[in-house]
Amino acid sequence: MDLCKGGGTGLCLRGRIMCAQPGTNTKEAKWQKILYERQPFPDNYVDRRFLEELQKNIYARKYQYWAVVFESSVVVQQLCSVCVFVVIWWYMDEGLLAPQWLFGTGLASSLIGYVLFDLIDGGEGRKKSGRTRWADLKSALVFITFTYGFSPVLKTLTESVSTDTIYAMAVFMLLGHLIFFDYGANAAIVSSTLSLNMAIFASVCLASRLPRSLHAFIMVTFAIQIFALWPMLQKKLKACTPRSYVGVTLLFAFSALGGLLSISAVGAILFALLLVSISCLCPFYLIRLQLFKENIHGPWDEAEIKEDLSRFLS
Amino acid sequence: MAYRGAGGHGQPPSAVRSRVSPGSLSTCRTRTHNICMVSDFFYPNMGGVESHIYQLSQCLIERGHKVIIVTHAYGNRKGIRYLTNGLKVYYLPLKVMYNQSTATTLFHSLPLLRCIFVRERVTIIHSHSSFSAMAHDALFHAKTMGLQTVFTDHSLFGFADVSSVLTNKLLTVSLCDTNHIICVSYTSKENTVLRAALNPEIVSVIPNAVDPTDFTPEPFRRHDSIITIVVVSRLVYRKGTDLLSGIIPELCQKYPDLNFIIGGEGPKRIILEEVRERYQLHDRVRLLGALEHKDVRNVLVQGHIFLNTSLTEAFCMAIVEAASCGLQVVSTRVGGIPEVLPENLIILCEPSVKSLCEGLEKAISQLKSGALPAPENIHNVVKTFYTWRNVAERTEKVYDRVAGEAVLPMDKRLDRLISHCGPVTGCIFALLAVFNFLFLLFLRWMTPDSIIDVAIDATGPKGAWTRQYPYSKKGGENNEMSKPR
Amino acid sequence: MEDERSFSDICGGRLALQRRYYSPSCREFCLSCPRLSLRSLTAVTCTVWLAAYGLFTLCENSMILSAAIFITLLGLLGYLHFVKIDQETLLIIDSLGIQMTSSYASGKESTTFIEMGKVKDVVINEAIYMQKVIYYLCILLKDPMEPHGISQVVPVFQSAKPRLDCLIEVYRSCQEILAHQKATSASP
Repeated sequence: MDLCKGGGTGLCLRGRIMCAQPGTNTKEAKWQKILYERQPFPDNYVDRRFLEELQKNIYARKYQYWAVVFESSVVVQQLCSVCVFVVIWWYMDEGLLAPQWLFGTGLASSLIGYVLFDLIDGGEGRKKSGRTRWADLKSALVFITFTYGFSPVLKTLTESVSTDTIYAMAVFMLLGHLIFFDYGANAAIVSSTLSLNMAIFASVCLASRLPRSLHAFIMVTFAIQIFALWPMLQKKLKACTPRSYVGVTLLFAFSALGGLLSISAVGAILFALLLVSISCLCPFYLIRLQLFKENIHGPWDEAEIKEDLSRFLS
Repeated sequence: MAYRGAGGHGQPPSAVRSRVSPGSLSTCRTRTHNICMVSDFFYPNMGGVESHIYQLSQCLIERGHKVIIVTHAYGNRKGIRYLTNGLKVYYLPLKVMYNQSTATTLFHSLPLLRCIFVRERVTIIHSHSSFSAMAHDALFHAKTMGLQTVFTDHSLFGFADVSSVLTNKLLTVSLCDTNHIICVSYTSKENTVLRAALNPEIVSVIPNAVDPTDFTPEPFRRHDSIITIVVVSRLVYRKGTDLLSGIIPELCQKYPDLNFIIGGEGPKRIILEEVRERYQLHDRVRLLGALEHKDVRNVLVQGHIFLNTSLTEAFCMAIVEAASCGLQVVSTRVGGIPEVLPENLIILCEPSVKSLCEGLEKAISQLKSGALPAPENIHNVVKTFYTWRNVAERTEKVYDRVAGEAVLPMDKRLDRLISHCGPVTGCIFALLAVFNFLFLLFLRWMTPDSIIDVAIDATGPKGAWTRQYPYSKKGGENNEMSKPR
Repeated sequence: MEDERSFSDICGGRLALQRRYYSPSCREFCLSCPRLSLRSLTAVTCTVWLAAYGLFTLCENSMILSAAIFITLLGLLGYLHFVKIDQETLLIIDSLGIQMTSSYASGKESTTFIEMGKVKDVVINEAIYMQKVIYYLCILLKDPMEPHGISQVVPVFQSAKPRLDCLIEVYRSCQEILAHQKATSASP
């Protein structure tokens, strides 16, 4: 392509005159990144400054191995919760665990957890949310009464469905619970309500296969404790006392493993492998993959509004 | 009646001739091209791409080329129509899927497009806008048919999210064997080169243009007792309407003699209305709603300062239009905007309320001290920057270059697809290209090129509409230009 | 005066255009397609019967065979009577109007007459037809309300669909007559 003649556009806007006569030596004229002047270069000219504003990985985070391992404990905890739940259900189904005993233990640990929940941050969270103890007690009572009242219905609700279907459904629901659980990632797939609902549905499914309606009632209550209340306590523990949180996680993981070991040794080994790979191998892999990251940024990126604009509207 | 097409478009043929000559444009016309512009976006849809295609086509016709436009049917507007100066537009009955872009199967448009390319004897396919599925389809078919291809990219795209990864991959596939690519600014060129992994040598930068005669200043229309800030844009997130909602209360509290005029419509209008409601600014902030293109100038001349809050922009036509009307422009420093206007005509700010307010305050203080140049002077400077004739002249150079290049034969094209677009995508699209070629062979067997009637040229060297004497003795051929309906 | 020329239609088939010049103000154009060929008739019949026979071997119901016979017979009758047009004629008489006749293969004829007072013009237009873009000849009718408007477009030679060279032939002759008519109606 021949040179574009810039005749007639020799504008003197910034006190700088573009030499655009056809006879000018093109090497002397310096290319500028501007459109409003005809420059003595062809339209497809590529300057040395081409792509000089390109930046790579400016927002990329550097990960520390142990920090990632610590963060992965949330996933480990949730896996263990599901494992403990299934183990307890199996014991109940086999008749090895009396429902009264489970109810007693559950109630006691819930009370301890409740007290801990307030003790950890010295009642800050309670003050912020403005919820009274009376309100907590009321909702707990209402929930227990209703579950107890409806437990015969829960028991017979899925009687006509075959047991295989129930098991398959429970497995899917528990998997779904694990997938949609709020692990702290900011992604579209996360939905803590859906996750909790799936877990409760799984518990209702499994509870209907237990011998009596009392069993069913206690199973559902236990599901609420382990899937709804326990993660809340965990979150607070993790935020306020990370050390004790690591201890609790380890203890919980070992007890889940122990429970599984008493049912099936192979299952326990596989579960242990899963936990180890999630907490140790996956972080390692993540850090290795970071080396290959190539995130391109430049002037074409859509600008982000960094200020909080809601103050003008509130 | 049938002569109406030939002679009845307002201007006598001699006038058409004389418009070709001014300036240095018609010095050495070596060859003319038969150009087919393809895009999903054309009138009656309104926007930057649409006016770009129309204006560029008109100027190319003026320079003696044959130009046709292919787009999809808009409601009742389907079939074949003629616009000013015999610009022929095919409105094809293809299904619109999303945002005025057609659905694509990569194959279903081949029979019609092939028929058009053959009957119009098209030599160069010029597709517009990366959001248009039809433009990419046309590129794909044109390469299968062995025609030269040019693509103009009008927009910027990020690299961050999943959707952009996918669209960038498709763009890579679509552009890897396209002869030449045109971008509207240097930033857009960098962006396109990165997105489609192109050789920068085959990417030209040709800016958009505005018609300066449409945007003339009229200082008497504005009230000098108050200061008016004009905003004309679609009210969407990407145009920074959120920033605007922060600027309005901030400045209105500081300057009692400040008014805002906001033209445009969009989903973010509601937050501007909320701000107006909350700060009781009904008499100072006017929301005009959607504007037609011809009304934009009348809105612009009522103001002293033009504010542009876009968060991303390849080439901002709005600020050129505003500057052409003699307004002081305050804009965010994003995308290709810093390239568009010289520093003394624009105040560039960071995309934040604080920085934009500082920029506006600077403009206001300049205005109050009388340091700003007169609108007429600004207009006289700006009108020389961007003209459609210049755009057409530079685009023509691209066509000349492309016409001299060879189109990749099928085997080389497949090699290029596989080597350039990654093993998986490359192989898939190479397979699709082979299918497309077989489909083309089938169509050629069904209706050979020889039995497709060659269309009567409306424009170009033998154009019926640009013929010197349309009523000559052997003028029968002119008569085929029937009245477009 | 009468002459005959051969053209082709948009799919490549053969067409014959007969022009009869009765007088300077009266002309007739007659486009005839080739008659239904025995080969295509046999091909279609064989396909239908083979399909019917295939079905018959599957479900062993002899009704299918008799139905196939009826379908072919009725289909053929319907095709000849309602679909297949052998000849399309355009008769244009200066002072009277334009008459379009299409004669079906069965001998049925349908005629449309447009009086000259309603005819605004005869033009060649382009249209998107199936997966093609084609030229066609059409008659524009005047809008009685608006002198410059067009109320209706009547396409000519709808079934033959001749190519552009043939259309130009007809178009020129029509224009000559229309010009003649305008001249005579304007002079007195």
